[in-house]
Amino acid sequence: MSIIEVNHLTKKYGTTEVLKDINLEIYQGEVFGFVGHNGAGKSTFIHTITGITNKSSGSFTIMGFSDRQLNHVKKRIGVMPDVSNLYENMKGLNFLRYMGKLAGDKRNKPELKTLMKEVGLEGAAQKKIKSYSFGMKKKICIAQALLGNPDLIILDEPTSGIDPESAIKIRDLVIKLKEEGKTIFLTSHNLDEIDKVSDRVGILSDGEIKKLGTPRQLKEDKGAGVTISVRTKPILQKDDIQKLSEKMNTDIIFMEAKRDSTLLQVPSEEDLPEVSKKIIQSDVHLYEMKIEERSLEEVFMNA
Amino acid sequence: MIHILTREFLESFKSVRSILIILFITFVSYQSATFIDSNPGLIQEIVKIGGEEGTVYTAAIALIVLILGFLFVFATSHDLINKEIELKTMRLLVTKTSRVQIMVGKFLGTLLFWVATITISFAVIFIISGSWFLKDYFHSFVFLFYIVSFVVLVSTVFTKSKLTMFLGILFGIALPILGLASAVSNNWYLVPFKYLLPYRYLEGSIALMFVPIVIGAFYFLISVFIMQRKDL
Ligand SMILES: Nc1ncnc2c1ncn2[C@@H]1O[C@H](COP(=O)(O)OP(=O)(O)O)[C@@H](O)[C@H]1O
Ligand SMILES: [Mg+2]
Repeated sequence: MSIIEVNHLTKKYGTTEVLKDINLEIYQGEVFGFVGHNGAGKSTFIHTITGITNKSSGSFTIMGFSDRQLNHVKKRIGVMPDVSNLYENMKGLNFLRYMGKLAGDKRNKPELKTLMKEVGLEGAAQKKIKSYSFGMKKKICIAQALLGNPDLIILDEPTSGIDPESAIKIRDLVIKLKEEGKTIFLTSHNLDEIDKVSDRVGILSDGEIKKLGTPRQLKEDKGAGVTISVRTKPILQKDDIQKLSEKMNTDIIFMEAKRDSTLLQVPSEEDLPEVSKKIIQSDVHLYEMKIEERSLEEVFMNA
Repeated sequence: MIHILTREFLESFKSVRSILIILFITFVSYQSATFIDSNPGLIQEIVKIGGEEGTVYTAAIALIVLILGFLFVFATSHDLINKEIELKTMRLLVTKTSRVQIMVGKFLGTLLFWVATITISFAVIFIISGSWFLKDYFHSFVFLFYIVSFVVLVSTVFTKSKLTMFLGILFGIALPILGLASAVSNNWYLVPFKYLLPYRYLEGSIALMFVPIVIGAFYFLISVFIMQRKDL
């Protein structure tokens, strides 16, 4: 069953189209990760489906309610927008109490302190939010998204810019929430992160979903080609690869020249013999050629 | 809605500006009421020339509300809406509740603060004079209702709190002058102010006092309409 269903959603700021024809389904109980460069439109997408901004066209439904009826489901959605959106002059606990009331959360102060502990904010209850570090602000922002025990939790870059230990803690929290049966939508530009917690990943680039699937599917996505590492002397540079591509009349993409090898991408494994032949013919010494296991990072780079 | 209302109401009492305003209004009411109370002859004089006894006691409050009302409410609440948009805390609110509820909560919380303020003054007068001047109380309420709606509108239309601070001072001075002038004059350029501002409705039947309420409610509806369309 789908919890979020997005159809042809667009969002324009002035004349720039920040989201272009987004179509997406998020299923009940999954962790969905949205990956994209800075400025890809991840936050804008979250803002649009949570009522922070208005859509330009298209439609979406959340738990069966249309975008016009969004107010009916707000209590069942927990949202963590950007970190800058906190009441800096409130103490952590009071902030959660206020947010809790708005979210219809019945927890009392000790229970809220437990929640603070869960996200890694022990001892910060009576401190003003403006004295919090960046990471602590992230955490309290996550905590407020959990108020009211929502079925759908939407987190915008929950782990960006915080120390690795806290990031692991938040990742564990996400996994725990999933085990409780929550649906989680999160964004990140840290692919490793997304790879570890997500059941499915969407790659957003320039306001368009370029790829969609399980992390494994994306890594194995043959359509995107095979990445190979070629160790040669001299090392192949970008224009060598371009010439190679022209000679073979095949799309060969130069990715990176390392210290002693070059990373490139060919359409399929079938191209490898021909590539090695052409390299040797071009008077370059070929020492090694191997297929690289594709990380999500690469899939992402090519999106 | 009730939680936003409560917070807005309680927060209002916390600022130095509002405490000063409350103290000022209460002090002036107290001073003028004791002065009048100790000069019974004065009341008779005024009643003779057509005033009402209540008007005498509440004249000070009425004058404050009429002349300084816009300035005071702007001073405490010019950034009621735009500040939270600037700081982006509004984003948190809209993820939890509807924009209409946020607007109603903020509007009522602020109105309630002002009603509480004048209630304190009327209570002071009640202690001194022994009567609660309901009609004048109602007049002040209507005025404040109008002013708060207007301030909410300005705070919603203009997104910069620095600008609304400036506009607040400007409106706070200009509107009472325009309002009072238009109430007594028939200059063509004052006509819109005559009907849009609440001053002229003070005279005459009490039913007329509902006109500023209706105009205020209309301002509020426009504010909600604008708010619904905002990208936060
Ligand atoms: N309020 C806004 N007004 C105008 N442009 C905006 C606004 N918010 C975001 N943008 C633009 O939309 C694009 C996507 O931004 P954003 O959704 O924040 O990306 P991401 O979260 O993926 O980093 C960026 O180019 C950004 O400049
Ligand atoms: Mg972002």
